[in-house]
Amino acid sequence: MSVANTPGRLRDWLVAGSPLLLALALGVFPLLTLFVESIGPGLGGENYAEVLSPLYRGALLYSIGVGVGVTAVCLAVAYPITYWIAHRCPDRYRLIALVSVTLPLWLNYVVLNYAWVWILARGGVVNRILVGTGLLDSSLDLLYNNISMGIGFVYIYLPYVVLTMYVSMERLDYQLIEAARDLGASDVRVFLDIVLPRTLPGAAAATLIVYARIAGAFATPEILGSPGNVMIARLVVQAFRQYTNYGFAAALSFVFLLLVLGTLGLGALSPRVRRELRQW
Amino acid sequence: MVSRVTRLAERGAGRLPGIVVALTLVFLYTPVLVIGYLSLSPAGQPTIPIDAFSLRWYTAVLTDTRFIRALLTSLGIGVVTATGGTALGLAGAYVIVRSQLPQLARRSIAVIIALPLFVPTVVVAFGIGRASALVGLGYGYLPVILGHLFWVLPFTTFLIAARYAELDDRLSAAARDLGADDRTVFRTITVPLLWPALMASVLFAFALSFNEFLITFFLAGSSVTTVPLEIFGKVRIGATAFLNAASVLVIVVSAVAAGVASTLRRPV
Repeated sequence: MSVANTPGRLRDWLVAGSPLLLALALGVFPLLTLFVESIGPGLGGENYAEVLSPLYRGALLYSIGVGVGVTAVCLAVAYPITYWIAHRCPDRYRLIALVSVTLPLWLNYVVLNYAWVWILARGGVVNRILVGTGLLDSSLDLLYNNISMGIGFVYIYLPYVVLTMYVSMERLDYQLIEAARDLGASDVRVFLDIVLPRTLPGAAAATLIVYARIAGAFATPEILGSPGNVMIARLVVQAFRQYTNYGFAAALSFVFLLLVLGTLGLGALSPRVRRELRQW
Repeated sequence: MVSRVTRLAERGAGRLPGIVVALTLVFLYTPVLVIGYLSLSPAGQPTIPIDAFSLRWYTAVLTDTRFIRALLTSLGIGVVTATGGTALGLAGAYVIVRSQLPQLARRSIAVIIALPLFVPTVVVAFGIGRASALVGLGYGYLPVILGHLFWVLPFTTFLIAARYAELDDRLSAAARDLGADDRTVFRTITVPLLWPALMASVLFAFALSFNEFLITFFLAGSSVTTVPLEIFGKVRIGATAFLNAASVLVIVVSAVAAGVASTLRRPV
């Protein structure tokens, strides 16, 4: 290993400069801008007082709730999928299985969510099948509620969760599972004592990637959600486009950001997650 | 009796992962197939099952100037973002994996680059929109491209970094011992070995940019329209035949990028 030398270091800082500058200019500087706007005009806390009024508190909690709920569903589905692909799938089909499950990651989420309108609408595929086979007399209202929005979210974010979790699942030594089985452990025990602790870093990474984006999503609730249930992104977009009340929207964004980071931090505080994350 | 029930339940549990995979594939591909099927209907408001097969709406989409302009805009922004984002990602990956900077600096740089992953997109997008107005950059192509570069940077960086970390450092050391300077080592050793990762990064960054909606929504202003913005605007009006054909075309563009990426092989 070469000894660190000053010109090398200088060069490395120069290389670091371009990506770092971009990330600072478009990540950190905008957040500071928002923070300054949120406390103005005149250093009053009025914007924050308004954000914490019951009207907006509801939207904040609803967004966080949707984020937590959808992330949990994605993880619950991703566990059996990644387990099967990593440990059950015949070798020569493994790559194609992984590619098939993660392909939608490449596709446009506005288009994919729009496709669900045709599945769930009154004249859509599901209702056609249910009425056509005589299971139902008339069509159901399946669209524009929490369920349809949840389906849309899982549809978009499941591939991200699967891809991230797969790395952990692949590293899990299958011999450990076999050993536990030989010693008489049930499937449930194998899952709780071996699979879960060893794949926790993957689950944590997946949560980190999708949770904030689900809680702050705009397009999916607009296309598939109920018009009555307002998520934060719609409020911010409205403030940005229609009104000029940027201070309020900035305060709302900031409180929301703190809530998202706070809930992520809460997860990281649990001793078990922390112990597993330290291995990274 | 009890043990038989448990045994049956366990056998069921043993099959569960395979069943979930099968159901997930149905779940993931049904909507795409349904849109593809409906796009072939000649009717303005298609019904299931469709009455006849026709490519009428594809012709309509491909002769629609608004849509074609949006498509060209998206492709252009996508190409710039893909190449620029990959170059920046390579720099980021080098700094995180191989540079001589102190551990703390490297970790901090990684966290700052990863910021768009754990900060809600709407907050970042709104912040960039306000910051852009503040510094007088306003709205349009430049803010959109910068926003896209920022958004793809963590993906390109970590994709390339994963491969970079696997590279055998002794190869570069050997080249240096034989008298190659840093630039030659980078050009003849590092880049060729990273090539599949760089290509994968270009393609994935292109797909991310081509499909990006929310950041563009905040930064585009009235002069720039990308395909996702155009489609979102049409979705709000209602599900129409035009939208079905347009959706299929958008899916095909990204699927081609994905298909090319999946054929990339690692050398050695």
